[in-house]
Amino acid sequence: MITESTIRASLRQWISATSGRAPLETLSDDTPLFRNGILKSVQVSDLILYIEELAERSVDVEQIKPGVFRDIDTIYRSFFAPDHA
Amino acid sequence: MDTLPELTARLCRISEEHFIDPFSRLQWPDSLAHDQWFMTPELISLHGTGHFDALDEKQQKVLSFFELVNFFSINIHGERMLIEGLAKRLYRRHTETVSPYLHHFLDEENKHMFYFGRFCNRYAGKIYAEKKLTIAREYVEGEEEFLFFARAMLFEEMVDIYNRRMAKDQALAALSREINWLHHFEEARHLVFGRRLVEELFESHCGAWQQEDRQRIADELVYFFDATWKEFFNPEAYKDAGLEDVYALRRKALANDAVMKKHKTHRASCARTLYKIGLLTQERMQ
Repeated sequence: MITESTIRASLRQWISATSGRAPLETLSDDTPLFRNGILKSVQVSDLILYIEELAERSVDVEQIKPGVFRDIDTIYRSFFAPDHA
Repeated sequence: MDTLPELTARLCRISEEHFIDPFSRLQWPDSLAHDQWFMTPELISLHGTGHFDALDEKQQKVLSFFELVNFFSINIHGERMLIEGLAKRLYRRHTETVSPYLHHFLDEENKHMFYFGRFCNRYAGKIYAEKKLTIAREYVEGEEEFLFFARAMLFEEMVDIYNRRMAKDQALAALSREINWLHHFEEARHLVFGRRLVEELFESHCGAWQQEDRQRIADELVYFFDATWKEFFNPEAYKDAGLEDVYALRRKALANDAVMKKHKTHRASCARTLYKIGLLTQERMQ
């Protein structure tokens, strides 16, 4: 079973690589991803696919609430935390 | 070349003369055996990868059924976006010229959704979920309008590649071939209209757009195309077809050389109007 720290590290790595504007060492779990221009809104679809791959389950886009992609903490709580699902 | 009002009048006339009633035209058997092809093998997302070759023909045919359900689901989501956007644009000041054709466009898209939805629900008991999400943002003058019609055009160009091929494929189940033919028949007009409108909208607004605006618009359209392409690689469909390790399968398929080559070919073909008007460069298309 994939651990919380592995999920967070994987998300950081993916976001840094996808962004091209946020070196890994500058990215913390509460860095605002869209407000700081690290990710563009058009990259949300790719982020959803990556979350699905990490979680190994489908994400229902229609159920997504505003703000769930604000930062890595929020993404983790919304899609991976044990009390989610 | 026709002016836009002339083109609108001509397309309206063709829509009226070639009106098709899909409610009575299509025959819907109670069930469909999965031992036949539903999607042309070369169009199946995994085609060209070792994963597809490793399946026997029976498994490939089952996969072709769920890939068709996925393709029709993608169509449903794309056409819902179109219907919502077209309805909003009826009889606005800047769409008065084309509104007569928007009525046909809306009517035809609604009928398309009917047969796609019926096929998915009747034979698979589901419509696969959409994966594209748009976050609201500010637009410069004309940008939202241009993006709406350019996305619609890219989407229709993309699905028409599949429709054209499957409409002629005699090896496919008759219902699949017929739906693909019906869709292609009407989409061909929508494409003529869409390409022309995209050119006109770009011409009207691009002079006021800064270089960074044009870059953002180009990026957004390329991302939209790529996100639509990725929807063809659906782990849920793979799972329903009995495949395993489906998320890794999607990742590997998308990184496969043959698949990436097909992606570039489709993108270059679908975006040729955007290249023609000068929004996308040849380098951006690669």
